[in-house]
Amino acid sequence: MTLEMFLVYFIKAFAVAMFAMNVGVILTWVERRMRGMIQDCVGPNRAGIPVPGPIAAMGALGPALGAAAAIGYLAFSGADEAPEEGWGMVAFQAAIFMLWFTTACIARVVGRRGPENSFDAFIQSLGTPRSIVGLGLVLHLVTLAVGLLVDTAEVRTVLFRAGVSLLVFSIVGGAAYVALSVGKERFVRIRLIGLLHPAADGLKTVFKGDFVPPNADKFLFNLAPFISFFPALVLLAIVPFGPALCFGSTETGGIDFGAFQGVEAAGGVCESARLSLQVADLNVGILYYFAIAGTGIVGAALAGWASDNKYSLLGGMRAASQMVSYEVTLGLTVIGALMVYGTVRVDEMVRWQAEHTWGLFAQPFAFFLFFAASVAESKRIPFDIPEGESEVVAGYFTEYSGMKFSMFFFSEFIAVVTGSTLMAAVFLGGWHLPFVTADGIRVAVGETVYFEAALAPGAVLAISALGFIGKVLTLALLQVTIRWTLPRFRYDQLMRLCWRKMLPASLVNVMATAIIMLAIDSASPATVRGLEVAGDWTMVFLAGAGMAAGVAAIVFLLLPRQKDRLVVSTAARYAEAMGGTRTAKMEA
Amino acid sequence: MEPLDLALDEAEVELPTEPMLLNVGPSHPAMHGTVRCVMELRGESIERVDVQVGYLHRGFEKMCERGTWTQVFPYVDRCNYVSPMLNNVAFALACEKMLGIEVPERCQWYRMILGELARISDHLTCDGAMAMELGAFTPFLWMNKAREMVWDVMEEETGARLTHSFGRVGGMAAPPTKDFKEHTLAATRQILKIVDECEKLLYGNRIFLDRLEGVGYISPEDAISLGWTGPCLRAAGVPYDVRKAYPYLKYGEVDFDVPVGTNSDCLDRFMVRIEEIRQSARIIEQSCERMPDEGPVNVDDPRVILPPKDEVYTTIEGTIQHFKIVMEGLKLPAGEVYSYTEGGNGELGFYLVSDGSGTPYRVRIRPPCFLVTAGLEKVITGQMMADVVPCFGSLNMIGGECDR
Repeated sequence: MTLEMFLVYFIKAFAVAMFAMNVGVILTWVERRMRGMIQDCVGPNRAGIPVPGPIAAMGALGPALGAAAAIGYLAFSGADEAPEEGWGMVAFQAAIFMLWFTTACIARVVGRRGPENSFDAFIQSLGTPRSIVGLGLVLHLVTLAVGLLVDTAEVRTVLFRAGVSLLVFSIVGGAAYVALSVGKERFVRIRLIGLLHPAADGLKTVFKGDFVPPNADKFLFNLAPFISFFPALVLLAIVPFGPALCFGSTETGGIDFGAFQGVEAAGGVCESARLSLQVADLNVGILYYFAIAGTGIVGAALAGWASDNKYSLLGGMRAASQMVSYEVTLGLTVIGALMVYGTVRVDEMVRWQAEHTWGLFAQPFAFFLFFAASVAESKRIPFDIPEGESEVVAGYFTEYSGMKFSMFFFSEFIAVVTGSTLMAAVFLGGWHLPFVTADGIRVAVGETVYFEAALAPGAVLAISALGFIGKVLTLALLQVTIRWTLPRFRYDQLMRLCWRKMLPASLVNVMATAIIMLAIDSASPATVRGLEVAGDWTMVFLAGAGMAAGVAAIVFLLLPRQKDRLVVSTAARYAEAMGGTRTAKMEA
Repeated sequence: MEPLDLALDEAEVELPTEPMLLNVGPSHPAMHGTVRCVMELRGESIERVDVQVGYLHRGFEKMCERGTWTQVFPYVDRCNYVSPMLNNVAFALACEKMLGIEVPERCQWYRMILGELARISDHLTCDGAMAMELGAFTPFLWMNKAREMVWDVMEEETGARLTHSFGRVGGMAAPPTKDFKEHTLAATRQILKIVDECEKLLYGNRIFLDRLEGVGYISPEDAISLGWTGPCLRAAGVPYDVRKAYPYLKYGEVDFDVPVGTNSDCLDRFMVRIEEIRQSARIIEQSCERMPDEGPVNVDDPRVILPPKDEVYTTIEGTIQHFKIVMEGLKLPAGEVYSYTEGGNGELGFYLVSDGSGTPYRVRIRPPCFLVTAGLEKVITGQMMADVVPCFGSLNMIGGECDR
């Protein structure tokens, strides 16, 4: 292996590990924020890094000036050439986005602490942050529509110049506002909406005491968290995060990174060299997942056994039996998918889905069974009996403290991430998005093409990778929501669900899949073509549903919240009169 | 050497096992901090259990014998700390029974409203905690949100959120505030909304129902012979509610139902509490309607009630009266009395003995929890380890009241 390839693999592995850990941290944060939302309070978002005001001001202004300079240079260094097609609109939309985003942020700050000068008053007169965001979105739509109607070279040039100028202005303006307002403070707490809180918690556990029970098996006790943590992380190695990239090849047959040829088409193969966006191109594919996931069980069981604690033992036993049982269902549900896709390689599964239809439609039952089994594998509510805190205290990691506890805790979140990535790859089309092909966007049902637009390979790659990450996050958030909604099973109910309901269901799924596949094999060409068109229609449905969900989410977020103050207690009134020394909850 | 018995059924070949002895508590999440269960487990099921209470014993009854009658109020606050107002009212009623006085009508309604608010908070806490211990966190947070509203009203009325010490012999520490009715009704409406929401979330949930249905059965006969009262007894199908059976305050004049269960399992106990919240809301509504806005709150008896502060500072009579009540205590006539009301968990009784001095001779509290917890052993023997959680939760053992 050349040094170059080694570096490539290292970067891939590092990026994937960082992805898993960061999403894990974000999930921890989401879980806490969700708790806060249920209680109508903000949740823990107070952790912050105190930074001296002037330094914070420089921290805000410096990158902004750098970014502005870079944008200005890139945009205007091409002298008087007209911008390439599309870039005018992109620049203008980016400018509008930056403008409303900055204004809304400032409006929120001003709304909280009250206007201090005439600029603040002006921003406040524009409306609430919500209405500013709404206005910005409307502006996006209007400019897009107008841009499509009037599309000449002059307009494009004007749009481009105006857009870049506005973009630079709003970046610098926003940063300058921040710098002016924080520069005079002695210390500013950088909070990042509480995202630092889980990170701070993680850091804290490193410095905590590491207690080992006196009668524990010290070696196994120390080994268990690693056995639990490691498999959760390395599972991600087989998941493709984007379509493969095609490069030219060097004389020795290696990859020529200078000659980028584009994104590999779903049906085709790269002409010369190919760089896949997954850590390991294993030909055993998804079998690797089951092999490694099985190792995670050992960690939990070992921890339970080595802790010399009866609760740990109970928890470890529960963990072992639960995970072994659900592993069976997990494997059997995937069998159906394997039959349809005709491969065990995850990247090829994604390509099949890109060509035909998502696994969600090809294997609907398998998806739900897999989802349930995957939640069970991650040992989270409603399947968290190995660590059900009200029964067996903390289950198999009762005796763990400090960083070892954190590893167990975190491996659970990473298991959520890995489970979600696999689900997204096997059932939700992986990096494939409806109508996004290797060359651009192509809306077609059967033979009829409704819309076609070319996109640069970089854009296709970015859209695909972001789409995949979006799917993973959605699935992970869904699991967090489930955690806040459902109670946990009892041990016997859990086993009954697995062996008496899910296992037979997955077997039936395999049989039904086999029968349907045989039927399709012997069906007439017309039926097969009909199925292909149906596959296209599922894409139309997905695209429509995705857009509707997006619009619904935006509308929901923009709707003003009204909270009536029903019980205004004396203490709260006093606090208000004193300038809000205590943020009293006055809603009832 | 004898040949192995090949005809032996394989199911009968078992490794020798012995039950595992597990100490659950007193420091265990499901034990609410103050109970210890020594369990003999065979696998996950409980073969035998020994419930030991008393870890929170603080000697309240003995402490009561040191001060004056009025100084008992803070102690009863700390018995059932989930619904302290009910204890306050119950103790005040016991003293008044001994004195043979009755508080003015306005105060009676006031006590009822505050008491029912406290009952709502008690039931919300119990049901919420029960759901939380089963892993359903959201209902717990919602119910706690609703409880906050009760505490908001209480804070506005009494100045304290948890331990109000608001009751007085012969009245209350202060008259209702100006916005009392408005606040109470607003909070009640909102609480009912939240309760409806929780119900929707839980009763439609198969996992939740599976965890509670048929778990923790106790026969009505057993419940009665153990001395159970309150929601747990009513869940067993016995419609005994002190408010209906022996009405006190104005409970005879308001219209409310006593919900009873049929299966006597954890789910019934859960549902009875939810339904009682609704009934309490009904009582609050009617009481708010009928409570007069004007009129005295305290009895007009200078031997019982402290004089107003300005009189204490300006007149010699006021000063002396204040001094005598504070320093010597109320003079309850010599004798004994047993007064009982419906507390959060059942019949809350006070057995008072007075020797005619200003100091209680004996204050005996009949805590509903203690008798209910006595049935825990019967309820969980033979169940699975995980069933201890809903069973114990549904009995609503309050450490302070149980151990005193």
